[in-house]
Amino acid sequence: MTSSTSLYVRIRHLLSIVLLCAYGCSSTATFPDATGGDRPIKESGTPAIAILPVVNFSNTPAPLDSIDRQWRQGLKKRGLNLLDADIVERVITRNRIRYTGGLDPVTAQAFKTQADADAVLVMVLELYSDVQPPKIALNARLVSTSPQTRILWIDGIGLAGDDAPGLLDLGLIEDPARLAAKALDDLADSLARHLSPDPGPDARQSVRRNFRPQMSFQSLELVPGKTYRVAVVPFFNLSERKRAGDFMALLFARALSVHDNITIIEPGTVRQQLLDLRIIMPSGISLANADLVFHRLNADLILNGEVLDYQDYRGASGSPKVDFSAQLIEKNSREVVWTAKSYKRGDDGVYFFDWGKAHTAHELARQMVALAVEDMIE
Amino acid sequence: MMRICKKSTIRTAVLLALIMTLAGCATSVPDRYHDANMDFSILKSVAVMPFLNLSGQQLAGERVRNTFMSSLLATGVLYVIPAGEVARGIDRAGLTNPTAPSSEDVAKLAAIVKADAVITGVVKEYGNVRSGNTIANIISVDMQMIEKESRKVVWSASTTQGGIGMWDRLMGGGGQPMNDVTRAAVDDIINKLIR
Repeated sequence: MTSSTSLYVRIRHLLSIVLLCAYGCSSTATFPDATGGDRPIKESGTPAIAILPVVNFSNTPAPLDSIDRQWRQGLKKRGLNLLDADIVERVITRNRIRYTGGLDPVTAQAFKTQADADAVLVMVLELYSDVQPPKIALNARLVSTSPQTRILWIDGIGLAGDDAPGLLDLGLIEDPARLAAKALDDLADSLARHLSPDPGPDARQSVRRNFRPQMSFQSLELVPGKTYRVAVVPFFNLSERKRAGDFMALLFARALSVHDNITIIEPGTVRQQLLDLRIIMPSGISLANADLVFHRLNADLILNGEVLDYQDYRGASGSPKVDFSAQLIEKNSREVVWTAKSYKRGDDGVYFFDWGKAHTAHELARQMVALAVEDMIE
Repeated sequence: MMRICKKSTIRTAVLLALIMTLAGCATSVPDRYHDANMDFSILKSVAVMPFLNLSGQQLAGERVRNTFMSSLLATGVLYVIPAGEVARGIDRAGLTNPTAPSSEDVAKLAAIVKADAVITGVVKEYGNVRSGNTIANIISVDMQMIEKESRKVVWSASTTQGGIGMWDRLMGGGGQPMNDVTRAAVDDIINKLIR
């Protein structure tokens, strides 16, 4: 009885593996893309994309419907193959999906089987302020619905109405809706460019060198040619800004995904695993929990850290402030192999006419993180 | 007239001599301690406990600890156990007061997180000081290291950085930013540990 049961279980496992492999090979053909991941595109044409509703992490009321609508229209205008909002809504309702700030394998599978979606587009509203001059910050990413839930594209933007006031303030944007439209247009351009056969360089990704981290340490050199799977867990948030730990994790995911030898595990998948494992991180991830994450997510490295400041300012005068530390834990040695500490203000090193000033915490943190990652990779 | 002048010169000379003698007798209070019998080269990894915060600023302890841990790890001299692992150790060892652990607590915690020593700290001042119209940032920190095997304090140091200097008094200004003052204090204390 026991041996027949075990044989039955073995056969069932074998069958499920075969089915999974067959599923993986059936509908998609993969080719490398600029973010180092694989881009599953249906051989017949452009990928079918399901757009999840915008998640508001700004802790302020924001016109989410209008942002959603503009986002969808902007992508449609650029020729992307979007699934109907009704179909997406049906999948969300049917599967009782309550968290739309990320994608876990179960949700991905639901979108794949029930809506025939190749990828899901996630959008997070980080900052929305209609106090003059207005400010907005958005994070977006396209995640494949394959069982690996690969990040196919990830980007973000932080804009303020007075980013480029120009001569006699002619370039000042005072209408929050206009600023939101500009941000969404930039993101839609970025996604369309990425999905085009010949994606050019992104001019928005420039950084000021004086946003380099104050200190960094590295004991492991990443082996060129070897691909590392990195799980970016939410940073321990000690700042007054809600969700700053999540924002910082997304910025690191974005900065790391640029590198060909790094595969970022979808933050939604990481979040789901942390929930499944009932991992509570009172002040960062412990090694016992890190072991579980390494094993469950098949990760080589875990990136985590602390956010001490993630401050935006309201109105025209002021400066954003970001203070964080990050560390990378390696699977085999179970040791911290890289660490960086960075604290800056948006107007650091700015002397004339706000030239070079970062007006949002998102933009400041983006540059700080990009330089920290540059230190890590080099 | 000549006699009065001579008398005042003698008086000044005596006064100066007295001041110099008294100054010579003064002893400077050392701001660091190294156990002479301790071989610091055997220490490979340390656990940095949450710092006791005596300042009025919330999170001052965590801010200083965060900077200290990053800086100490960046020196490459000692491996610093991640904060999350230390938190797990504190939890598992059942420490009721992790900012001031007893020697038994230190031994228990060090065994759990596999540290050779434990560093504790006290943030005495963190924030700005005011004198008249002048304002500047100041930090004052004490730290000590307790070794796992002997359960003894093998190193202790303190530092104070920032505050209102002569330049601030004369020219005004708000002193250095808090992060820079913290970094200076941490660098100073690490120098006192390593050198």
